[in-house]
Amino acid sequence: MMRAASDRTGRISRRRALGAGAALALVLAGATVAAVRTRGYAVPPGRRLVALTPWQFVVVRSAARRIAAPDREGDPSIPSADDTDVPGSIDLWVSRMHGRVRRDFGRFLAYLEHVAPVGAGFASRFTRLSPADQDAVLAALEQSPHDRLRAGFEGLKSLVFIGYYRDVRTWKLARYDGPLLARPLGGWR
Amino acid sequence: MIAGVVRGREVTGDLVLEVDAVVVGTGAGGSVALRELARAGLNVVALEEGPCSTSGELTQREDEMLPLLFQDAGARMTQDLAIRVLQGRGVGGSTVHNTNLCKRTPDEILDLWARRYGVLGAAPGDLRPAFEAIERDLSVSEIDAPMRNANNDALRAGCEALGWRGGPLKHNRVGCQQSGFCELGCAYDAKQNALKIVVPQAVIAGARVYSDVTVLRLSHDGARVTGVHAEARDAAGLPRARVEVLAPVVVLAASAVGSPALARRSGVPDPYGQLGRGLRMHPGAIAAGRFDREIAGWRGIPQSYECTEHLSHEEGSDERVWIVPAFAHPIGAAATLPGFGAAHMAGMRAYSNLAVLTAMVHDETSGEVAVDDDGGPVLRYAMSEADRRQLAKGLVACARLLLAAGAREVTIPAVPALRVRTVAELERLDLAVIRPHSVPMTAVHPMGTMRMGEDPHKSVVRSTGEHHQLRGLFVADGSLFPTSIGGPPQISIYAFALHLAPHVVERARGR
Ligand SMILES: Cc1cc2nc3c(=O)[nH]c(=O)nc-3n(C[C@H](O)[C@H](O)[C@H](O)COP(=O)(O)OP(=O)(O)OC[C@H]3O[C@@H](n4cnc5c(N)ncnc54)[C@H](O)[C@@H]3O)c2cc1C
Ligand code: SF4
Repeated sequence: MMRAASDRTGRISRRRALGAGAALALVLAGATVAAVRTRGYAVPPGRRLVALTPWQFVVVRSAARRIAAPDREGDPSIPSADDTDVPGSIDLWVSRMHGRVRRDFGRFLAYLEHVAPVGAGFASRFTRLSPADQDAVLAALEQSPHDRLRAGFEGLKSLVFIGYYRDVRTWKLARYDGPLLARPLGGWR
Repeated sequence: MIAGVVRGREVTGDLVLEVDAVVVGTGAGGSVALRELARAGLNVVALEEGPCSTSGELTQREDEMLPLLFQDAGARMTQDLAIRVLQGRGVGGSTVHNTNLCKRTPDEILDLWARRYGVLGAAPGDLRPAFEAIERDLSVSEIDAPMRNANNDALRAGCEALGWRGGPLKHNRVGCQQSGFCELGCAYDAKQNALKIVVPQAVIAGARVYSDVTVLRLSHDGARVTGVHAEARDAAGLPRARVEVLAPVVVLAASAVGSPALARRSGVPDPYGQLGRGLRMHPGAIAAGRFDREIAGWRGIPQSYECTEHLSHEEGSDERVWIVPAFAHPIGAAATLPGFGAAHMAGMRAYSNLAVLTAMVHDETSGEVAVDDDGGPVLRYAMSEADRRQLAKGLVACARLLLAAGAREVTIPAVPALRVRTVAELERLDLAVIRPHSVPMTAVHPMGTMRMGEDPHKSVVRSTGEHHQLRGLFVADGSLFPTSIGGPPQISIYAFALHLAPHVVERARGR
């Protein structure tokens, strides 16, 4: 049974976390991807996926919410990753990837969902963790001693920001005034 | 749309063309080869895998232009995922979205190629007419000081404050609106590039150009090349028709990545294992300085000033970094700035106050372009320790320049991120973290994978550009270079294609 992941007692020992390192290698080798549990993930009604599977979509959505999390909680002027449909954008970009890259990305998502939380000391899937714990997992990936894991994180981060900063509403926070072409009189709102 | 360019979707059925020569790719090198063959009165066709974009299609939006103009939608990476490799895809190749800097191949490099790599007929004096002609064609001129934006001015200020070598750059723009969207293509047709100038000249001279047509393999009998097999694609990128070109001359100009990949998947003879080797990347990374005043680095000409304090082209030099501004639009900036979540967004709020510099390494590391099971390029490149040290030196120099220009804080996006406010802090930094996989690296100038030279044990093509083993197969792109040239390569590529064109013409005439 899964424990509440933010519960400190739910954290697993360093030894078990190291054991998870071995699982990491397996996942990266692609050997266990097929065995990864992919049931119980629901996409919003009406959402038609182009390239991602439902479980990948849900993982991407959770990660995007944290990677593009607002710096001012509750500020209605900041659009969320969901408002800007970052997961939909990622689905489209993945559809443009070559088969090899797409496979690697899928493996990374499987790792993020099932193995990275264990490596960071949580006994739960990434998508079921609290936002703070998800941040801890992402931070561990960002600082990982494994080059390919860091690269996987950077790839995911890039995809999230393509989806987020393509949206006119996000430009205001960066004080970017956008393309000159078709710029509305008085600037973007 | 250039009159005379046939789009893949307009190819209604399988096609067999019989011509004197076929050119693969229409970037800097391919456009010139095509034009010179056509001007010589030969029956020549170019096949280009990307689209033929009009200025009206260039929307200045990153999310739309990356898939339109770049290979792999801008996501091409080295095999180890350490370096992002940006290359163009479409009529005009990488010249459509490049930043228009124009520098000739340094004399020291041309001398080195003659001395160490046995390249004949390419001494500085031999190349001069080609450089002059291309610079005339592309209206190359110095970028006027009033056109310098605040990011470039920060570099100038840094150079002047430190007493470092720096100066204005040259470009190939006419009628520039200083919109700042160069790396997303120019909606104002100000770029005097292959798409606007050279390909239309080729078409006027009688060349035919097909866009959205990917060359899948070269045909040859082991001793001479006989043409190419290609596939035309529709607007959605789906295969539409087969295209076969029968030709005694094939000019490879699919870039330093595309050309060796195509040659490798075509089983081009490679008795000495040289094909695809010698890949140089000219890799770079950035440092970002936060100023109290607005910089708005996305406005204006992106690169107009350079710092060459740490750049020497002498063989074995320990000064191998070229420093120029490198401001990105929000998506590119967000992907490069360190961190994620709330802290990252807080950093993005300072976006308009950032000045960003890049240090590009005139690299000695020798990589390789191989192919995967699908025939796609695989870029193997493991940066040497000497090059890594150059990268670290370059980023420290960028940080010093930014601090000298008045930056309040400088960030080098390594893992962990390096942040300094003073030179003293900079001097205390642990530079070991500046390494591949820690700092995000980008390469926009791959070169050197089908090197020229007279010795087939050390090169792939002769000094004429013709393949050592396959008669009629020529190379006319950045693959030709035996080493990095340590600077922006477009003018060198245009010029070499022009310089070698008489040999191609002669062969196509059946001699
Ligand atoms: C962001 C960016 C900025 C740059 N800025 C500068 C600059 O300021 N100054 C400078 O000197 N250089 C710059 N460069 C580099 C410069 O543009 C390139 O070095 C140069 O254009 C390379 O010329 P090329 O002919 O070798 O290849 P390219 O210009 O890349 O052309 C190759 C063409 O071949 C096509 N092709 C590939 N495979 C196939 C195939 N199988 N079938 C058919 N067609 C194929 C491609 O689609 C492409 O259009 C920049 C590059 C980038 C990415
Ligand atoms: S800065 Fe000049 S060359 Fe670049 S996109 Fe704008 S108008 Fe075109």
